[in-house]
This record gives sequence, C-alpha cells and structure tokens, in this order.
Amino acid sequence: MPDTYKILFNGQVQGVGFRPHVSKLARKMNITGTVSNNEEGVILMASGVADKVLEFYHKLVKNPPPAARINGHEIMKVKSVAFDTFDIVPSSAKGKLNLALTPDFGICPSCSEEISNPDNRRYNYPFTTCVNCGPRWSLTNTFPFERAHTSMAGFLMCPACQSEYEDPKDRRFHSQTNSCPNCGVQLELTDNKGAVINLDTDLLFEELSDLISIGKIIAIKNTGGYLLCCDAANPEVIQRLRRLKRRPKKPFAILYPSLDLLKEQLVVNDLQSQELMSTERPIVILSSKGLKSGLAVDDLAPGLSQLGVMLPYSGILVLLSKGLKQPIVATSGNIHGSPIISGKEQSMALISDVADYFLHHNLNIVNAQDDSVVKYSFKHGQKITFRRSRGFAPNYFDHVKKNMGKILALGGHLKSTIAYTPNDYLYISQYLGNLDHFEVYKRFTETTTVFRRIFQEEPHCILTDKHPGYLSSQYGEELSKNLKVPLYRIQHHRAHFASVLGENNLFASSDAILGVIWDGTGYGDDGQIWGGEFFTYRSGEMKRSAYFDYFEWLAGDKMSKEPRLSLFSLHKDEKATFFKDKFSAKELAIYDSVKRSNILKTSSVGRIFDAVASLLNYCDVNSYEGEGAILLENAVNDYELSQLKVYVHAGEDCKIHTHILWENLYKDFNNGVEKEKIILNFLYTLATVITEMAVLSGSQKIAMSGGVFQNTVLIDMLKELSKNRFELFFNRNLAPNDENISYGQLMYFVHCMSKKGV
Amino acid sequence: MDDKERKELTINLGHGSGGIMTRDLLDKVIFSTFDNPLLNKKHDGSIVKFETEIAISTDSFVVSPIFFKGGNIGELAVNGTVNDVAMCGAVPKYLSLAFIVEEGLKMDEFIRIVHSVKRAADESGVQIITGDTKVVERGKGDKIFINTTGIGAVHPRAKIDADNIKAGDRIIINGNIAQHGMAIMSEREGLEFESAIKSDTTNINHLVSKLLDTFGEDIHLFRDPTRGGMASVLSEIASDIGLGIKIFEKDFPLEKQVAAACEILGLDPLYVANEGVFISIVDEKIADDFLSFMQKDPKGENAKCVGYITKEHPHKVVMQSFIGGTRMVSPLIGEQLPRIC
Ligand SMILES: [Fe+3]
Ligand SMILES: [Mg+2]
Ligand SMILES: [Zn+2]
Ligand SMILES: [Zn+2]
Repeated sequence: MPDTYKILFNGQVQGVGFRPHVSKLARKMNITGTVSNNEEGVILMASGVADKVLEFYHKLVKNPPPAARINGHEIMKVKSVAFDTFDIVPSSAKGKLNLALTPDFGICPSCSEEISNPDNRRYNYPFTTCVNCGPRWSLTNTFPFERAHTSMAGFLMCPACQSEYEDPKDRRFHSQTNSCPNCGVQLELTDNKGAVINLDTDLLFEELSDLISIGKIIAIKNTGGYLLCCDAANPEVIQRLRRLKRRPKKPFAILYPSLDLLKEQLVVNDLQSQELMSTERPIVILSSKGLKSGLAVDDLAPGLSQLGVMLPYSGILVLLSKGLKQPIVATSGNIHGSPIISGKEQSMALISDVADYFLHHNLNIVNAQDDSVVKYSFKHGQKITFRRSRGFAPNYFDHVKKNMGKILALGGHLKSTIAYTPNDYLYISQYLGNLDHFEVYKRFTETTTVFRRIFQEEPHCILTDKHPGYLSSQYGEELSKNLKVPLYRIQHHRAHFASVLGENNLFASSDAILGVIWDGTGYGDDGQIWGGEFFTYRSGEMKRSAYFDYFEWLAGDKMSKEPRLSLFSLHKDEKATFFKDKFSAKELAIYDSVKRSNILKTSSVGRIFDAVASLLNYCDVNSYEGEGAILLENAVNDYELSQLKVYVHAGEDCKIHTHILWENLYKDFNNGVEKEKIILNFLYTLATVITEMAVLSGSQKIAMSGGVFQNTVLIDMLKELSKNRFELFFNRNLAPNDENISYGQLMYFVHCMSKKGV
Repeated sequence: MDDKERKELTINLGHGSGGIMTRDLLDKVIFSTFDNPLLNKKHDGSIVKFETEIAISTDSFVVSPIFFKGGNIGELAVNGTVNDVAMCGAVPKYLSLAFIVEEGLKMDEFIRIVHSVKRAADESGVQIITGDTKVVERGKGDKIFINTTGIGAVHPRAKIDADNIKAGDRIIINGNIAQHGMAIMSEREGLEFESAIKSDTTNINHLVSKLLDTFGEDIHLFRDPTRGGMASVLSEIASDIGLGIKIFEKDFPLEKQVAAACEILGLDPLYVANEGVFISIVDEKIADDFLSFMQKDPKGENAKCVGYITKEHPHKVVMQSFIGGTRMVSPLIGEQLPRIC
C-alpha cells in the first residue's frame, strides 16, 4: 500500500488554475489521488512513495501557478488509500467560506496571442480566458470559485470548450470561465438609440476604431463596467465628452494600444512598465513632459504635467487596440460622481446622450469596479496607490492577524470602502465612491450585504468614523441596531495612522513611531476639523502629539471646494487687493463678518495647499477634488534641496505655527519670488517640519498617511531629507486617502482599543 | 407709562417679585393688551369648554436676536404654537403665554413684544387665556424667553395620521423655504444682502382649516419644518412610515436672495429653519386640486409639489438634484459640519 497524505493550501488559490496545476504535476510525478476546492481553499489527497509525495508538496509550495498567492499550507499523513489516477473532483464546500476571494486578472500573453491570430478558433473572441487570466471578482456571485457560482453559469460550454476543460494537458483544463465564439458571450454594437449596427465580431472592432478615429464617443462594456472612449488626439471630441460627462477639467486616463507605442511617446521606467504589465493592470500615472505625439494633452489633463495611462487588460481592449494607431481616452462610464455603470439598460438610460455608440455584451457584471490607479514618485520611485479597485479588490494579504473577531468597518464618506474580517482573512472592498450620491450609497450598502452573504457571517461589532454626518456612520448605526451588535466610532486621523501602521506591521514595535496624518478634513476629538496632525505610537498607545495651529473653517463643505476660501481664512489682511479679483464685493462683506464670528476651526494641511493654490492663482474654485493641490504639484519641475528655504519650523510647543508659515510665504509672494520657487519652499517646509517633529518626539520611524501624501514631490523631498536619519513608512497596497479609513478603523480597534477591554 | 418712561425703564428683579411692581406691570402691559373676559378674571387658570377632541401643543422660544427682519420673538411664539396645533389637524382657539425675562430688558422692547403677541393672536384668531411672567438675574437668560401652549378643537374632517400615508401620495409645500433661518442668521452675523431677507413667520391655521374643510381625510399628514429644516422633517417622516420619499431639488420654492445667501455661506437650504412653511402629504388623486386651491390663498401663493411617497428605498429620502444625480437626504445632526476632504 502507498503512503497517503492530506495536503491543504489556503490563500488566493481558487480561480487561479491551482487544481489543474496540481493535477498536471501529480501525473508527471506518478502520484495518485484527488484535488478539490473547498470552503478553506484547496484540498489534496496524494498517494505514492512518501519521499515523492513530500517532494511534490514542496514543489507546489515553491512554484504555485502565477496568479496564486499561498497564505498557508499543511501536510499530514492519513490512512492509506489506493487511487487509480489523479483527478480533479468537484467542490466539496461543507462549511462557511474561509478563503481569499479571487480578484480580476488581466489577459495573459497566450490568450492575447490567440485572439489576434486569424488561424485560431478564438480569433477576435474577446472573452477568451484561461486558468491564468480573465475576470473573476466582477463575475462572482458566491464562492468556491466554480462556473455555477459566476455569471458564466448561463453559458453552456460547446464540445470543443468542454474537451479543453477536461484535458489535463490543456491551458484551459478546469478553467471555470472557459468559452469560445460558439458558446460564449455575444457582442452587440448599437447606436445611442439602441439600433444594432453590427454583431459580427470580425468586423466590429475595426468599425469601432474607425468610429473613434472620426471623432465619435463610444461606451464600451468592458469586464468591470462601461468605459467611455474617444480619440485622445482630438480636442473637440474630448471637450464634448467633458461637457456631456460634466467633468470640466479632471484628467482622463488614456489607453495605449501597446507598451511599444507608449515607450515611443513617453518616458517609462522599469517600475512603471512592470506595473502596467502586472496581472492587476492598473492605470499608472506617468510624467507627460517631453511627450512625443499629437495627443491633446491640455484637454486630457488640463494644467497638469502627467497622464494616467493603461494598457489593454481585457480581450475587448486588446481587440480594440489592434485598430488603433494612437492612444484613446478610456474613462469610467458614469456621470459626474455616480458609480461606474455595468448594465445595458442602465447605460442606455444614463449615458445615451454622452456616447454616440455602444458596445454591449451579455455577460452580467456582478461587482462593478473602476480601474485601479497607481503612481511612482518621479524622482525616487515611491509607489503610491491612488485608487484600489479592479485587480486588487477584495483581498488584503499583508500582515493579517488571526482571530481578530468578526469586525465590519464602514470607512469614510467621500472615498468609501468596506473592510471585513468574517474568518481568517481580511477583505477590503473596491473603492466605492462618494456616499452623497444615492447610487453610490446603494452600492455601498449592497457591498456590505454581499460580504455578509458570501461568508454567511454577521459581524460581532461595527466600526465607523466619529463624524456624525458621514452616511457610513449613519448606516453603521442602523446596522448595529438591526443586528444588535455594538458600534464603535473611531477618529478619522487615528484610523489613517492605524492603516499605515497595519500595512507595515508596526503595531508590535516598541520604538516610538511618529505618525504624520495630513488630509483635507476629518472630525476631531475636540469637535474641530482636523487635517494637520502628528501622533506618536508606542505599544498600543496612540497620542496626538502636535498639530498645525488652528485657523478658521468657513462656509461648510464649500471651503473644501473653493481654495479661495482657504486663502481668505489664512490671510490676515481682508483688504488685500487680490481678494477683489477672487470675490464679489458682496461675498467679501459676508465672509468678512462670517470670519469674525466663526467658531469652527481647522488644522487642515489640505486647506493650506488650497490657500497657496489660490494665492498663486492656480485655482480659486476646484472643478474636481484636490484640483488646487494637484496643480501646485504639477507646476514644479526639478529642485535642489540646498537651494530651498523653510517658512516655519516645528515649534517646541507641539504646534506648527500656521500663521508664521503663511506670513513668510506671503512675504516671498509679495517680493515677487517666482511661483515655482514658492511652491518648492512650501513643500520643503512641510518635509522639514516632519523631520523636525521626529527629532522632537524622539522617533526614528515616521509613518505617513492622509490624502496630502498623494503629493509625490513632497514624498521625494522627504525621502531625500530623511536619508540615513529616519525610516519612512507609507501606505503600501492601500491609497493614503480615505480609501484606507475602513482598514484603519479595523486596525485601530484591534490594536489600540480592544485590548483595553472595550 | 409715557413714551419717555418706556424708553428709559428696564425690567428688573422687582418686576418678577410678585409684589406691587409685578401687579403694576401685568395691569399696565399684559391685561390691558389682551383684555378678554377669560383672562380678566385674573384667576390662576381659565376654564373653557370643548365639545370635541382637542389638540394641545407647547413650545418654548429662545431666538436670538429677539427682533429680526420680518418679526420678533413675540409673534414667533404665537405663530409657532398656533401652527403646531394646526399641524395636528385642529383649529387653535386658546393660548397660554409665559415670559422669562432677563433683568435689564428694556421696557420698551418688552412692550413691543407683548403688542406683537397680541397682534399675532388676533390674526390667527386665538385668545390668550392664561399666563405667567418671571424675571431672572442678569446673565441667567438671554433677554427674553417665551413659552406658549395652544389648545384647539380637532377639525371634524381631519384624519391626520402618518399611518394613512401610502405610496403615490404627493408632498406639497405652501411657500418659499429657508427664509426664517437665513433672516435670523443674517441679523445675528450682521450679513448684508442686497435686500433684507425677511423671516416668514406667520400663522397658517386659517389656510389649514380651509384645506381640511375642502379635502378632509385625503390629507394624510401636515408637518411644519422648523428647526432642522425640510431635510430633517422629511427624514423623520420617512423613517416613521417605512416607505421612501423622493423629492426634486428644482421644485423647492426658494427666493433668489435666500438661494444666493445659502450658496455663499455653503448652507443647504433644505436644512435651514422655516416658520410659516408647512408640508402636506396628500392622496395622489387630490394633489392637483389641493395645489391649485393652495395657490389661490395668499399664504400658499408659492405652493409647489416637491415630491412623492414611494415603495423604493424605504425609510430614506432621496433627492433628484439640479444636475441630474440623486443624493440621499439625511437629518441634520448638530450643525452642518464639512464632510468633503
Ligand atoms: Fe482623510
Ligand atoms: Mg413645536
Ligand atoms: Zn489566459
Ligand atoms: Zn466553446
């Protein structure tokens, strides 16, 4: 009798070709047994000579399939069983799910090759996938990852596909999303009234690229939702799209048909091209300086010196790209702030006056996702996530503590996400968006429902922000009442800090860590609007140690949208002549009296950026979130730290004297110092203040979070300044902005609150 | 009291002692103003007769400043309570009136307030039949606080009950929103607008009675969105009835000046206080007639249908905004704190 072992793998091991990989290797090594998916991952029974089985096990651990991520594995000897062959057996989920969900993967080179090859039976078939690639989370109703649990359930495999599925030697052996032109997803090109133009995939993509080249706007149903596409070299059509989408200036991402063309036109370094080609395929923000092409850069990204770029990550985009000689605009199909559209009817109802033509298909998108966005700082290559969605969601792998308890954290308001720990894993939803929009709010509440349903677990407690007006806080209250579980409110900036501590596994650290948490707004412990905070963390204790000296918060949410109001708040002299250009006489009189009787104060660094942007005439009223600050960042070229000066130093009294900073900055402005220099000095001041505060607080480790740390020039300066002196920590897989609040709430609760017997 | 005396005199603790000065103040100011047989008995209370169900409502008024464009605390105290009684589907008849005066209030101001209480009571057709005046030390009040309690007979045709609300019902408001809150704010903050924004304080009980006469049980609910504004009242209704409320931003009657003031201050007019405004939730089938009936009344000239009750999104108020998107309207919490980063 042979020796028999039971082997378990968990992590991201379903929907990644794990079982076919196992069974191929087993057959090669003459090992018999079975492999199947279960609620905890992949389970194997392997019989053979003991040494051989162990070798087989080690090989699997060392070389899993490319898209897999093994979190844990285990082998144990069991009663000897004789098998004839090695087989993949159907899923045997008995209990509740306890595994990583599978995110979407970009199309692999082999599949990409096949659909471009006229001799292949999948020529021009965009939903070509294999065990290594294709959409997953966007199609998933429930797990384990089996066809019946996805939107592919409605498509019956044809004999050719079925035989691939059953052939251990085939790349599509047990590929759950397998389909072909004969049995798969149908495409339909229509005009914006719904009349069908073309159904023939062989001609359809040519037609699409022709339409784009003559200045049409096309809504394309991709794998995660609709994209709006148009010629990126045609200013008229871009402006038309801006007008119709009510998006006057916010930059559009562009799709390059190939990495080669991208490299011809823009400078792309290794980090950036690796990211562009990764299985997650995010949008990568590149410098647009020295662009060699006829792109309408000023229309694509007004006032900016950078461009968000992606490469074809789905079959649809690969086929579309074949006919493109130039990059095209590829932006989320939605109207101003509402969620990305994923259904045909919805698309016709909402964007039929935006798009001239529609490419629909009949594969249902369950979890709509936007494209993820990352950037590497141009000088020192620090990676910063701007949006975490397709390709990354909903798993979170790094440093997950076991047995945290079933905690549901509901995050922020403007860039909402949900974090949940129903089992041994931590899940963080894709970016869901601004909860003020009812459609986003619905998507937000549905996502909590989906999480609760998939894992069949209800939370034991709920975490929200302290801000009573966040709709996520209000929903948390409802949910806590309905489920009869406790609710804890966690201060916004503490959550930000906890997110970066958690991502860098720093909670156990006994060294003092300085937390620098800068953003636009957050509801503070003292009822004021925080946003320029310093904390110190040591062994489970997080203290607010310093902050930017308060200034007036004026006019509610309007102040966040209008940098000129931050200028008005910070600048002492209300009679300054430049105010006349920025405000009407009536407004000035009103803000003047409002400022004098104002009660609400703020320490927001985001608002100081705004004030600078308005003073230097980059932006008085934002047309998109953070516009003022982004324009400042884009206005600077290179710098030499030794040529810069500091507007204020960290005070021993644990305050950054905002008004001294402002007076000195204003003096430069008044003396006609050039704008770029003022911005650089300002950024240099911020970087310096951080290192000074680290010295004052005796910390050698500094952790940064909050939306301000999307400013990569500030980050580059900080890296130079702290070289050999301080260890810097940034958010890793999460964005520094409010997308990390849900995770941060969870981390804060687990590491800083629950110990104290809350 | 002659004019000169009035200008110089202030109210002091002696006026609240219960002695001669109190008697004097009451006789000269209160009883002479409100002169009616029930009050004139000068008893501890009044005895009145009702043949039907009655509605009672009480409210305390603490507004600062006490005089503002379009009114003062006195008429506010009458209209507020009269309107609350009317919102129950009742016809207000009697009112109690209690003052808590801070030492140092000018006699002249006190008298002006009392007179406008009288005027407002006459206009709304209610009698002041019992009352009280107390004086507190300087610093223990804010010039003057007023409490009023109103009693009215429930209208024979009224069937005001949130349980009667059903999907399809229309939401109709009688006039421009956000006037009162903005008037108070501009007065308090010394804000100057092109022309003064006036409070909309007024009684609406006569209009309400006429509506009940005409439409009776097809009116399912009346509410006046005072503090917390439209948003808070609508949210409250939605959470009570287990149905959703859909409203349309473009349909809310809003005076241009008020809209501009809200815009400048970053305030959402849906959260700003109103006084002479009320919401009617009425059966779909009478909605058009109800609206045109209202528009013929001076207190309903600007009436508009602003939305409807729906089975979708139960417990939630969802607003279609000007620019086409939809947003959820939640109740006012504390103050309007910034949420945007
Ligand atoms: Fe934040
Ligand atoms: Mg009341
Ligand atoms: Zn593939
Ligand atoms: Zn097929």
